Amino acid sequence: MTAVHETPAWIAEITMAELERNPYPFYERLRKECPVAFIPALGFHVATTKEACQEVGGNSDIWDGLISPAGGRTFGHPNVLNANGPEHDELRGMVEPSLQPAEVNRYVEDLVRPIARRYVEAIEDAGRADLVAEFCEPVSVRSLGDLMGLQSVGSDKLREWFHKLSVSFTNAGVLENGDWANPEGFRPGDEARAEIRAVLDPLIDKWIVEPDDSALSHWLHDGMPEGQVRDREQLYPTVFVFLLGAMQEPGHAMASTIAGLWTKPEQFERVVDDPKQIRRAITESMRWTSPIWSAVARTNKVDTTVAGTFLPAGSLVMLSYGSANHDENDYDAPSEYDLDRAPVPHLAFGAGKHACAGSYFASEVCRIGLEELFEAIPNLERDENKEIDFWGWGFRGPVELHAHWEV
Amino acid sequence: MAAHSVRLKTLGAETLCGADQPVLDAFLRENVWLPHGCAQGTCGSCKLRVIEGEVDHGAAPEFTLTTDERAEGLALACQARPRSDLLVEPLADIADDGVVRHPLRDVVGTVAELTDIARGTRRLVIDLDEPIPFTAGQYVELTVPGTELRRQYSMANPPSETSRLELHVRHTPGGAATDGWIFAGMAVGDRVDVRGPLGVFGVGRPQDEPAILIAGGTGLAPMKSIVLAALAEGLVPEIWLYHGGRTEADLYDGDVFRELEGRHPDFHYRPCLSEQEWDGASGLVTDVVLADFTSCKGMSAYLCGPPAMVEAGAKVLKRRRMAPRLIFKEEFTDTSDLLSPSTAEEERT
Repeated sequence: MTAVHETPAWIAEITMAELERNPYPFYERLRKECPVAFIPALGFHVATTKEACQEVGGNSDIWDGLISPAGGRTFGHPNVLNANGPEHDELRGMVEPSLQPAEVNRYVEDLVRPIARRYVEAIEDAGRADLVAEFCEPVSVRSLGDLMGLQSVGSDKLREWFHKLSVSFTNAGVLENGDWANPEGFRPGDEARAEIRAVLDPLIDKWIVEPDDSALSHWLHDGMPEGQVRDREQLYPTVFVFLLGAMQEPGHAMASTIAGLWTKPEQFERVVDDPKQIRRAITESMRWTSPIWSAVARTNKVDTTVAGTFLPAGSLVMLSYGSANHDENDYDAPSEYDLDRAPVPHLAFGAGKHACAGSYFASEVCRIGLEELFEAIPNLERDENKEIDFWGWGFRGPVELHAHWEV
Repeated sequence: MAAHSVRLKTLGAETLCGADQPVLDAFLRENVWLPHGCAQGTCGSCKLRVIEGEVDHGAAPEFTLTTDERAEGLALACQARPRSDLLVEPLADIADDGVVRHPLRDVVGTVAELTDIARGTRRLVIDLDEPIPFTAGQYVELTVPGTELRRQYSMANPPSETSRLELHVRHTPGGAATDGWIFAGMAVGDRVDVRGPLGVFGVGRPQDEPAILIAGGTGLAPMKSIVLAALAEGLVPEIWLYHGGRTEADLYDGDVFRELEGRHPDFHYRPCLSEQEWDGASGLVTDVVLADFTSCKGMSAYLCGPPAMVEAGAKVLKRRRMAPRLIFKEEFTDTSDLLSPSTAEEERT
């Protein structure tokens, strides 16, 4: 590809490891100098400003949903992220009913609050916890797991699955010849997929003959002619999408909200004292550290130019929402968490036809989780002896979040 | 002056509001409840969104209503005067919370009692020409004669007594209402302009949680009303009342509470002194609470007093794991920012 030869050195030399550690400085420079750029280490383009992400994400006349090669390798086809046209409508219509806000309102309190209470009770007398591993992630996976019908799968197993799928999904590095830079990086995802199928196949067998109110049972039956169900092979790629992103990200968002509030102790106290501010705190957190930082892509059906970069038909453009949400044109001091900042809409849930179907559900899981945590442990404090490190370029959140409180 | 129509978007309630009348005032007089706290621009709890029409923000201070918020179309209901017909929506929840509300009204009363009860503290009892129904914990405003200044005092009498109000007033040196009036020329038989009830603090309905009441100085007034109402009507399963002062000279009404304690096994009275050793509890009232409870989980609290005490109290209760949504605070509001420089700050009590 000719673009490689025109690539400035600072772009040509960026590595996956640097992006995984802290993508912000590199993307800040991209936003300033080259909002849509070809990144050799990734083998595709990235859109980094809000304007470019909106243009690519929102215009389905030119742009189709596409999964990154590593994502496709992890999930298989067709999944709801890379399907387009009638195939996408079918998959989207399958997953959406249980995620519509009115429907979520019907069940979310009864589903999530007891789960959040249970995990708070498990830590509240200990006086300390890593909130990522002991609260945010378990509440996130248990809530979606129970909604999907996976009550029989333990929370630690669900967490293990999304961690493994995530490793594969973000194993995006390629060599100059286009081969995978680290083929071994797909092994965890392959293992998780095999295990998921071994666990889910018998459940699907059961739901085929005994439908229930679980989301996966509905995926099999809804909209199908009497006596028929969807082929499970049609379901599995989208099941994997859910078992990664939808399982992982509400937990990330919850943890990032706490981490963000801890950078402004006065704002943290205000939110603990007034639970009505939790929603706004979550919204700012999604802007500040977007959980799906750089994991959604599009491909153009015709030649086009975006932000001055010519893109021949068939280009892959990764939408870097985490970068777009730090766009200096929209946000002052974007790297700061600030509850009081003017609520300019963020792009954490994406744009256009492939915008996140679970945005409301995810936000409600975060809200209820944080309400229960702050209600039961209002004296929660950051453990100043432990660093808060964030990880990830595809997905991003705190690695650990150590808190302590008086018991 | 011309009046404008003001409508609440969700509730659909509508009222006529004078061009120089705060929107909050207009609705409360119609007995349409709007969330509010201090009614003088300092707490921000009456913030609303002006969806249609224009308002004059009156004396709304920048620290309560920022320039950005004004640009976004927000206003303080207690300060905003309509410049046109309005469609508005309060930011806070206006759902029915089961608390009975009472309309705001202006009533004239007569001073029936004016007694020194503690250091720099007077009990002021006013017989009203017409009753002012209220909820335990609410307050009224008195107009300082010959001025437009109003000062806020919580009712200490139970809400069952609507025609005779008991207020506790602390002397503020240089204060227009206390130095210039209540502690100077006021006498039994004087006529007084009273406006009320206002405020959201207090116990307005039965609750399941036991309650810790923490009062500093004349912050005891709303607590007395709450205790009398709660014991008479069985509103709260168990009550602990803490009253903090520096020395015994700051305490008052101890005999009233000790007598109640003798009759009600579920009521406990704990006066605390911070600068005097005695046979009661010693130390800051908030430290005494901290020492008395190992856990406050499942309990609620009402705090009234100087801002530093209220803040320290809330921290202590959170350390003892009380849910923040069950911690209710009423601070003596500092109105000095809103008044002329010559008028000393006077605490609301």
